[in-house]
Amino acid sequence: MNATSATGLDDLVKLDLKVLASSESAAAPEEFIPVFHRWITERVLPELLIDVADYSHVHEGPGVLLVGHDAIYAYDESRGEPGLLYSRRRETAPETAGIRTLNERLESLLLCAFRACDQIEAEPQLNGRVAFDRHRIELRVNDRLVPRDDETASALGEALRRALAEAGVAGDRGPAGVQRIGEARDRLTLRTG
Amino acid sequence: MSQLTVDSTATWEAELEGRVPPHLSEEIEIFETQIAQKRQGKIDDKVFAETRLRRGVYGQRYDNGQRHDGTASRALEYPCGDLTKGPNTVWDAPGMLRIKIPFGAMNGEQMEVLADLAEEYSDGIAHVTTRQDIQLHFIHIDDTPDIMRRLAAVGITTQEACGNSVRNVTACPLAGVCRDEPFDVSPYAHAMTHFLLGHRDAQDFGRKFKIAFSGCEQHACGLANMHDLGVLAQVRTTGHGTKSTERGFKVFVGGGLGPVPHQAKVLREFVREDELLPLAQAVCRVFGRLGEKRNRARARIKFLVAKLGIEEFTRLVDEELAILPADERWTAYLDHLDVADEHPTRPGAALEPGPRPEGFAEWLGTNAQRQRQAGYVTAAVNLPLGDLTSTQLRALADTARRFNGGLVRNTVEQNIVLRNVGEADLPALYAELRAAGLGAPGASSLVDVTSCPGTDTCKLGISSSRGLAGELRKRIADSIRTAGVLADEAVKDLRIKVSGCFNSCGQHHVADIGFYGVSRKSDGRTMPHFQVILGGQWTENAGSYGLAVVAVPSKRIPEVVERIAGLFVAEREKGESFQSFIARVGKARIRQLLDDLTKLPTYLEDRTLYSDWGDPREYTLGDLGVGECAGEVVTAVEFGLSAAEREVFQGLLELDRGDAGTAASRAYAAMVQAARALITTENIDIGNEPDEIVGEFRTRFYDTELFFDPYAGAKFANYLFRIHGDAETDSGEEAHRRIEEAQLFIEAAHACNQRISELQAAGSLKRAV
Repeated sequence: MNATSATGLDDLVKLDLKVLASSESAAAPEEFIPVFHRWITERVLPELLIDVADYSHVHEGPGVLLVGHDAIYAYDESRGEPGLLYSRRRETAPETAGIRTLNERLESLLLCAFRACDQIEAEPQLNGRVAFDRHRIELRVNDRLVPRDDETASALGEALRRALAEAGVAGDRGPAGVQRIGEARDRLTLRTG
Repeated sequence: MSQLTVDSTATWEAELEGRVPPHLSEEIEIFETQIAQKRQGKIDDKVFAETRLRRGVYGQRYDNGQRHDGTASRALEYPCGDLTKGPNTVWDAPGMLRIKIPFGAMNGEQMEVLADLAEEYSDGIAHVTTRQDIQLHFIHIDDTPDIMRRLAAVGITTQEACGNSVRNVTACPLAGVCRDEPFDVSPYAHAMTHFLLGHRDAQDFGRKFKIAFSGCEQHACGLANMHDLGVLAQVRTTGHGTKSTERGFKVFVGGGLGPVPHQAKVLREFVREDELLPLAQAVCRVFGRLGEKRNRARARIKFLVAKLGIEEFTRLVDEELAILPADERWTAYLDHLDVADEHPTRPGAALEPGPRPEGFAEWLGTNAQRQRQAGYVTAAVNLPLGDLTSTQLRALADTARRFNGGLVRNTVEQNIVLRNVGEADLPALYAELRAAGLGAPGASSLVDVTSCPGTDTCKLGISSSRGLAGELRKRIADSIRTAGVLADEAVKDLRIKVSGCFNSCGQHHVADIGFYGVSRKSDGRTMPHFQVILGGQWTENAGSYGLAVVAVPSKRIPEVVERIAGLFVAEREKGESFQSFIARVGKARIRQLLDDLTKLPTYLEDRTLYSDWGDPREYTLGDLGVGECAGEVVTAVEFGLSAAEREVFQGLLELDRGDAGTAASRAYAAMVQAARALITTENIDIGNEPDEIVGEFRTRFYDTELFFDPYAGAKFANYLFRIHGDAETDSGEEAHRRIEEAQLFIEAAHACNQRISELQAAGSLKRAV
């Protein structure tokens, strides 16, 4: 039996996944503005991309956003830790049409986030100045209707470990170390690495 | 393995049962039903659009399903297909939600809910507007009923935040603690909000209706002069030889910014507090009954007051007052004037000498103000572009709870103010704000640039007002840090305000230095510009409105600020205000100062000017494709339009000299010249007689709708028709208005010329005759 099939978490669409930038990364958020505009023009990602929003003027904010219909991508600076944020809001793209379970969804989230990370790391405009540590990941439930209790955190953590293993993110710094972070009023957030 | 079961059918409606006031719950259910009906095609597009607008659900850029990427316009293929949420507004396109915050007052719980909503449905940012609202962007319409429920559960509604309704009632953010006010206007603003919300006499307007309260005449906090209804606190003595006083208000009507600003007129020198609500109701009735409904461009109450004259308008209001059925709500609230009271929760001890956090002195000098209550101060949080993150909003709620019981007020300068802070607590308060990234100094000073959303998210935006405002903030801060010209004490308190178009949401008319977005053609391409507005007055409740001096490319605007500020610092006389200085040196001198900045390089000489701030795409107003032939025609037209600009500028100088009659004549002549320039694209033999020009203009550009603005329609053409044959006036106010209208008419002619170029390039221009 799937770990989450009886939990209701399978219906949970609104999830955020952030891949933290490595400590050597040295790009300012503003540098992502032309990059994200080009992604829209050249349809770099297989989903509907709409707009770029610049919040680099805000302290430890969402940085620069690439707003899509199904998800928002951002070079996010929350908590003072830059990283690629992938925030899924809905699933209408063909790529996500067949998702039924939390496990499938997490695999899909990792695929989307890692694909964006790969793309950024290869961006000529950024000249190799941004790299991501795929072992340092935050998973957040972006829906306060979902209980923010230990049981939910535990079930979610288990699913995340499995998805990370499937994605090949394993080893000493791998998925074993999943822990909950944040305050009680924050959205339920897990971190690896 | 845990045996967890999450209820996947949980809803906010069920979660909040019993916590949403029944009348708001019913309202939200109606809207939810209308959403379902629209999905089934059972509501007309226009009706649904107004329905959602009256609930604060607004459109956003790219919601027509198109996006220009700098080289071509491309379709955004939203999954909803043909489903729309209004004319040319795609269902699935992200939108904006405007959340009314009456007189800007928020408590800790409300701030936390707003923070949650920004994270879960928006982009993690809460944006404070120039009318004390909060806006969330990139919202999907399907999410709006749940957002409304969560807001309603903490006493907030989006009802009538947009649409043709009574918008957020604003008030001075220092009301109740200000040293100059006769009394606190907050409970009256509260009463007005609830009295008119959903009131049957306020449902049939042709346009929106904005109300503002101010506690004093000399400051700008309430901006009573630029509102549809402005309410100014007054106290008068009663009886003879007694010291008894009574509270009341001076009431203004018919003010407003927009493309052509109007100063409000005095409707009543004094109304008693028990007379205020019925007076507002009577004004609403007159506006609803006689206000323009078809021509949106002239539907604000300012046009009705101007058309009728204040005496006739007053007479009609008096007539309505005489027949209004009595309503106990007119006075019931007077027994509860403590409804908006805020009380300090900590002692008001004096600030003692001692160690201070880094940056405290500078912050204290600009962001803290002594209150009327001894030992207490207000502390302003200077928000860059009015933005703060959900994390910051929660931190602010925590800080406010610790220092003043958890209450704050949004300001019309897009900041947030904490009141009733004990002076001795200031270092600790500052340390907390600074830790949350909210400790920036410079509130209400030169660096605190105000901006509307502009091209970032607004469908009407022409230039990037937020991009420019952000750049100005950086440059001013750098200049202050390096003791540059913008660090001079003389310019410290000047205000800069930026609008992305002529509609004035950034309140550029009342800034010391204002800007609004326009565009110009150069080298066969389009270049973003800003008109430079000087002569406005922020103080005295927006005491006077500025006028456009010259249009400068967007990327050169920081240089404009440096030069104007530099001239003021170098040449001002002792004690001379900025407004007096501008009046003394004259706009011709300023124009000369900026003249070289208006010379446009070719695309190959400097490409950077052909894109806007914060947007690497080549700038366009839509699909751009200009051929060489069109380029030649454009050159001839541009020449004529340039002559028209000169004419209106001369009118501006006449106005400065006090010759209203000549100023008005020049404004009219400028419009005729601009119209003639356009006509030359079709009839090179057009003569110089105004009758002939206006007639041809009507046939070729009005009847064909070629001159129509995509959003404002016939508005600008009507400026010319209105005064043609009746151009004479000696009224300074009317001359001022005509100069404004002429400037807008010329801008519309530029835009029309661009459309003609594009249509010619596409081979699809239909000849009028």
